[in-house]
Amino acid sequence: MPINLSHFQALLLFAIVIALAFAFLTKRRPAERFRYIIWAFLMFLLVAVALGWAMYPLSR
Amino acid sequence: MEESAAIPAEQPTPTGKNPAVATAVTIAGWLVPGLGHLLLGKWGRALAYFLAVGTLAIAGVALRGNIFSPVGGDAFDRLGFLADLGAGVFYLIARAVADGTADVSRAAGDYGTRFFATAGVLNLLCTLDAREIARGRKS
Repeated sequence: MPINLSHFQALLLFAIVIALAFAFLTKRRPAERFRYIIWAFLMFLLVAVALGWAMYPLSR
Repeated sequence: MEESAAIPAEQPTPTGKNPAVATAVTIAGWLVPGLGHLLLGKWGRALAYFLAVGTLAIAGVALRGNIFSPVGGDAFDRLGFLADLGAGVFYLIARAVADGTADVSRAAGDYGTRFFATAGVLNLLCTLDAREIARGRKS
């Protein structure tokens, strides 16, 4: 069943899955894992949006 | 003095665990994401890794990403194959289900290729984690 995701939707999916996996790989306590998931997810979004804007002048 | 000078017959490994168990856990973890941790009784981690690897692999196929085959292609294709192979049983299923359906002319298809490769590499990382736990080097 093929699906089609926008750039941002693909980014959201990738960010949440990788944040979850790395939280379980690197943290042991549930509270630490939860904080890490939130932090890593937000950092994925922040860095991606920042890089997108940084490359904006090059797109013209 | 004699006692301290004596060489112990065999130093115990840091873990004292059976290397065969670690090998079995490694193979199981590679074949089915999370199974290595499940065999070690780490239910939460097993579920998390299975969901993470499975989600990326299924998304990769659904986005019509390229699933690399073991034959042909250039060095990048072979690297892609090695990454994809890391997904274990998901790779075998993807090859059977999605053979020839790849469409990387769209951005989504290209994302699918990356998603599946990430699933494979992530599973290898999880497998190493399970192996280190089995060897007692990690809690």
